[in-house]
Amino acid sequence: MKKILMLLCLGLAVPLMQAQETNEVEQLKQQLKQMQENFERVQREQKEQIDSLTKKLDDLSKQQQQQAATQTTSAPPAAVTADQFKDLSDKVDSVVESQTKELPGEFNPAIGLVGETIFSYNSKDSAATGSDRPGGFDVFQRSVELNIAASVDPFAKGYAVINGQADAATGEADLDVEEAALQTTSLPGNLELKAGRFFGEFGRLAYIHDHELPFVNRPLVLDQYIGGESQTDGAQLNWLVPMSHYLSVTAGVGDHFGDQQGSPNEFRTFTGLSFWGRVSTYFDLTSDWQLETGVSGLWNPDTEQNDTVVQPNGVTTFAERERRVAGLDVKLNYVPLVNNQFRGYTWGTEVLFSDNRYQVDPDGVPFNGDEFIQRQGAIGLYSYMTYKWSREWSGGFLFDYLQNAEDHNSVTFAYSPYVTWALSHWNQLRLQYTHTDNNAESGLKPNDAIYLQWAWIIGAHSHGWQQR
Amino acid sequence: MKLKLFHLLALAATGLAVLTVLPAQAAKVRVVTTLTDLADITRNIGGDHVDVFSLATGVEDTHGVPMKPSFVPKMNQADMLALVGFGCEHAFLPALLEASKNPRIQYGKPGYIDCSKGVVPRDVPKSTDHSEGDVHPYGNPHYMLDPVLAKTAAKNICEGLITVAPQYADEFTRNRDAYLAKLDAKIAEWTEVMKPLQGLKFVSYHEHWPYFAARFGLVYFGTIELKPGVDPTPRHITELIASMKAEHVPIVVREPQFPEKVPALIAEQTGAKLVKLPIMPGGVPGTKTYIEMMDYIIHTMVAAAPK
Repeated sequence: MKKILMLLCLGLAVPLMQAQETNEVEQLKQQLKQMQENFERVQREQKEQIDSLTKKLDDLSKQQQQQAATQTTSAPPAAVTADQFKDLSDKVDSVVESQTKELPGEFNPAIGLVGETIFSYNSKDSAATGSDRPGGFDVFQRSVELNIAASVDPFAKGYAVINGQADAATGEADLDVEEAALQTTSLPGNLELKAGRFFGEFGRLAYIHDHELPFVNRPLVLDQYIGGESQTDGAQLNWLVPMSHYLSVTAGVGDHFGDQQGSPNEFRTFTGLSFWGRVSTYFDLTSDWQLETGVSGLWNPDTEQNDTVVQPNGVTTFAERERRVAGLDVKLNYVPLVNNQFRGYTWGTEVLFSDNRYQVDPDGVPFNGDEFIQRQGAIGLYSYMTYKWSREWSGGFLFDYLQNAEDHNSVTFAYSPYVTWALSHWNQLRLQYTHTDNNAESGLKPNDAIYLQWAWIIGAHSHGWQQR
Repeated sequence: MKLKLFHLLALAATGLAVLTVLPAQAAKVRVVTTLTDLADITRNIGGDHVDVFSLATGVEDTHGVPMKPSFVPKMNQADMLALVGFGCEHAFLPALLEASKNPRIQYGKPGYIDCSKGVVPRDVPKSTDHSEGDVHPYGNPHYMLDPVLAKTAAKNICEGLITVAPQYADEFTRNRDAYLAKLDAKIAEWTEVMKPLQGLKFVSYHEHWPYFAARFGLVYFGTIELKPGVDPTPRHITELIASMKAEHVPIVVREPQFPEKVPALIAEQTGAKLVKLPIMPGGVPGTKTYIEMMDYIIHTMVAAAPK
């Protein structure tokens, strides 16, 4: 019985103990729940406070910005000082300036290309005309000329003209440095020095490139007395005389001039060099009529040319030993101020006197003692007139007269009417007819030729003072 | 003997006086300007202290002033060169500058005054390819036909004069302010007179008028030239006439240096009125000064506009 009672007590005690444990868990749970609720409430209240403060802060910021904006717009102009305004103005100017550079290409040189093709028909062959071009039909790529120019430094500019030309015999391109020279820009005393390879200043058209001539071919007298373009390797000094009237004086020295070859001597003396000079002036006859004139001289005291020229008798040879050429040029221009792009008239004439010394070998056999030096005087000239009647069209007439430099009895006349159609400043067609008449002494035959010249320019192309 | 001595002294005194006068004359600032508008403004600002020579007389094309060698000594002795800029003088000024051998007026030197400084250019080409004609790479250079932009040129000229002759700075500044005030008054007058013409369409021979049109609210309809520096083709003239008729363009402007034949034909075909307008002072009679020229342009346009 005791056992039963003990078991019953034990049985009752266990549930009581279990009930006590259950109460504690519940209490703990309630405490935790309370704490959680307290935490969430505090968090909610703080968030509400934060939101409220943030809103206040935003409102205040907006108010301040509005006030600042109002103050700025209503500020008087005096708030910007003159210095600030100048500074800002300078900055704007510098931006505008950066868009308006005057010099082409800045550090890159100005580059241009000129192309010139001559389509022609000659009634006689080259033996009869003395030309290096064939008779009959001919297409001649006379030049593909690359022009490059830029300032070297504050004291000089440099330029080069590289010309590709079809070889008369093979037709292959023949590259030649026509000019590559340095030209000073800041010498004192109105002086300008040019050095390198360039076209020396002699006469009016000798230093003009082919495509800039007013007609298709270079005048005969320049071809023979100078040798075409007045190319030289040398130095040239130009002086603008400091007076109110235009007067320009040029002097130069070089190792050759035109087609003249250098001395074959191993040691060249001073007299082996070529010397040239020119004095030119200008007159405003009226506001529309202009007159330019000049005298030029070329002298090489000791040419020592190896090349000999066989005379028409087929035996006697001439070798140039001293070159003396003098020239007088005149150019009369009608340039109406009001519409000079549409109207114009030019009359240009150049007379050259050749007074060379030749070594004459009567029998053509060298070093047999019969050679002698002979002075040979000759005269040649060209004269042309061009009339321009619209921006696109002009026409004119060229007259050539030439006494052969080695024999003044050998005379050539040429008559060349021409018409030019300038589609634009960079694209030009010219049609020219030339009748050449030679007397019996020349050994050449009269010739009729028609030329069609097509010249074009791409890229930079400036008009220098010489090409005006 | 005494008489001879007196004569000698008188002669010496006269010589001395002449020598004294000569430096005073030489002290003038010698200014060369490319065009006559700049010359007029320079005279207004420089007053008695400047001796101004303009390469153009007023009737020339602004891009085609003849390169006369007689300009060279003038430029050789100049203290200052004022030019329009934006490449306006590209066809003649570089060669003249080279020939002048005057370091004081070369590009970048204090005596080289580019009056376009501060002018925002119009019509700056996207390409300088010659398929677009003789384009100006830096933008249209004819800003002097806008009198407000002419004020910028006046300021640049004044700055240039002060740089080369700072001793006259106060006088130059006073003269400039007086000239600008005068110009401002005229601008107000011109603006008022031109108000009824707002939206008026017109064509011209060369692209001279974009700044003028923008200033006075006109519509610059086109040019007779095919492209700048390129004469019109028959097709271009036909198309221009057709579009002018369709858009009722009432005015054809011919600048004095261009031939009248084609503008007259276009005016006749379209029923538009042909007017001859100068592009710089001296271009037509009675326009010796910049203000006279602008007066002439404004009143001619007003008279030609449909009522």
